[in-house]
Amino acid sequence: MRRLGPPSEIARLAAPLARLLDGAWERMHWWVAAMAVLYAVSGITIVKPDEVAVVLRWGRLLGETPALQRHGPGLLFALPRPVDEVVRVQVRHVWEVPVSTLAPAMTFNDMYIEEGVNTLDPLTQGYALTGDQNIVQADMVARYRVRDPAEWAFYGPKAEEVLRVEVTAAMVRSLGEMGVDRVLSDGRKSLIAMATRRAQAGLDAAHSGLELSSLELTKLAPPAALAADFDAVQSAFIKAQTLQNDAQAFAQSAIPQAQARADAAVQAARGAADSALAVAQGDAEAFRALDREYRANPAVVRERLYRDAVDKAIGSAGTVQWVPPPVGGSYHGFRISIAPGLAGPRPTPDSMSPSPETGSERGEGDSP
Amino acid sequence: MGTLALAAIVFSATAVVVRQGQAVLITRFGRPLRAATQPGLHWKLPWPIDRTLLLDMRRRVYETGQAEMLTRDKKNIIARTFVVWRIGDPLTFIQAIGTEGGAEGKLDGLLTNAAIGTLGGHDLSALVSTNPSDLQMDQIESELLASTAPLALRSYGVEVEQIRLDRLALPAENVTAVFEQMRAERRQFAAKYQAEGEQAASKIHSEAELEAARIRAKGLEEEARIRGESAAQVAKTYADAHRIDPELYRFTRSLDSLDKLVTRNTSLILRTDSEPFSLLQSKDKK
Repeated sequence: MRRLGPPSEIARLAAPLARLLDGAWERMHWWVAAMAVLYAVSGITIVKPDEVAVVLRWGRLLGETPALQRHGPGLLFALPRPVDEVVRVQVRHVWEVPVSTLAPAMTFNDMYIEEGVNTLDPLTQGYALTGDQNIVQADMVARYRVRDPAEWAFYGPKAEEVLRVEVTAAMVRSLGEMGVDRVLSDGRKSLIAMATRRAQAGLDAAHSGLELSSLELTKLAPPAALAADFDAVQSAFIKAQTLQNDAQAFAQSAIPQAQARADAAVQAARGAADSALAVAQGDAEAFRALDREYRANPAVVRERLYRDAVDKAIGSAGTVQWVPPPVGGSYHGFRISIAPGLAGPRPTPDSMSPSPETGSERGEGDSP
Repeated sequence: MGTLALAAIVFSATAVVVRQGQAVLITRFGRPLRAATQPGLHWKLPWPIDRTLLLDMRRRVYETGQAEMLTRDKKNIIARTFVVWRIGDPLTFIQAIGTEGGAEGKLDGLLTNAAIGTLGGHDLSALVSTNPSDLQMDQIESELLASTAPLALRSYGVEVEQIRLDRLALPAENVTAVFEQMRAERRQFAAKYQAEGEQAASKIHSEAELEAARIRAKGLEEEARIRGESAAQVAKTYADAHRIDPELYRFTRSLDSLDKLVTRNTSLILRTDSEPFSLLQSKDKK
């Protein structure tokens, strides 16, 4: 009995408390039972459509593989706390974080940046070096989502922090491999692709559980102090293009023009040749006809032709002067003067002026 | 009912739930006893004998300050690194650093020293270059990791998993020189574009002119050929006709010549006894 003393002692001391509990149980056991049932089912929960849930049992992640760990949208049967803890993660939502580590700082004073500022303070101004040791400034926006909820929740660093540094490091390194002209022109796309790939590799290595869904370069430019110099290159390039385009335009009009002119000249020559041949054939035909006539009546035709010609000559001549036949077979003192500047020979001023149309009876040459 | 309540009290005093991503350091009378790093249920003696210290075992990012350093080819650069780290050894971590926030100060010194040492062994072209064979970033980052990770784990219980350079800049006074160099390069480019544009334009221009001249010459040649052929054809036509009666031809030609010779500017001086005036004269005399 003595040995059993202390437990009976405890029982005796605890008796009023036990009686109290028993009394409470007697009166409220339905309530208590109801509460117990409610507690037992309190772990059952609903996972929303854009969520994935993981369950921690006694703090330990339930499920051996990532696929078994994840619980998709729907009803989730979990045990009540503190046994199970349901951790929900929004996996569909794409978050956005600006990364301005390589961008120019926009403080109040910088609003007055003028052309004369000839340096950048590396402590306040973000920038990066390109492969050819030029300076460029970049402003970025990274978009990401949670790819592995368990990793993100229990292993990875804070999402925005790790994104900012990984994206910056990836961009610094990618810029450092490319020349400034490639970066600022056609290399932009591959720059982004390269930086995205590197940043994702970094995020994976950091067990972040994040997926970089896009990396956007909202700004990529040389420093403001050098903007004018870069613009000058651009405008020189455009000017060179314009020069070439003008030359092309000239070529495109000059060659067809030359062709058209040459074609026209050839056509004209062909036309002239055709008409010359036609005339020749006409003449030849006329000659043959005349010849037939001539062979029939040579004397008459010859006479007619001669007279026609003489008539025509007299008719078309500007002046016709008639002189009497010389006495004794030759002329003496017969003189013809030609006045300069006048159309055709005129009689000398000292001689009588003849009437042009009819002709005078006496030629001036007749004077002694 | 009573036993149930008692069990709950005992459980809450002795159970340690280690959540995923956390570790619990159990100390007995203040002396670190063991670290419960595996998630799940662990046990301890009730307070005040054993106490627990919760540690966040997730990875963290720490970015060092920017520090100026010298590359092997004596170029001044400003670099900054960041680390991804986590508590690797909770016991050592608590003993060496004490609080979680204290780790960053220790890491900063360690990393800056490592960066100065590592970058001093490489040329600037290992960091930035357009020639891929010069670049040694992977090597530099693994050198940085190799020179800090074992020391950090041994001394501070910090496991450094990743070190990368996330800033490469130049001291302000060197930037001016770089700006000048960039300006000169831009001017060169502008001049080059201009010269190339002018050259290309004049090439196109002269080629077009050459082509046009060639076309014109071809046209002239064609024209001359047509004229020549035409002349020959005309001559043949006439010759074929005139061959029938050369004497008549000569006669008509002389008459034609007479016709051509006499124009409005011609003065004819004819004897009155020649045709046709002689007819009038003889009539007058009659």
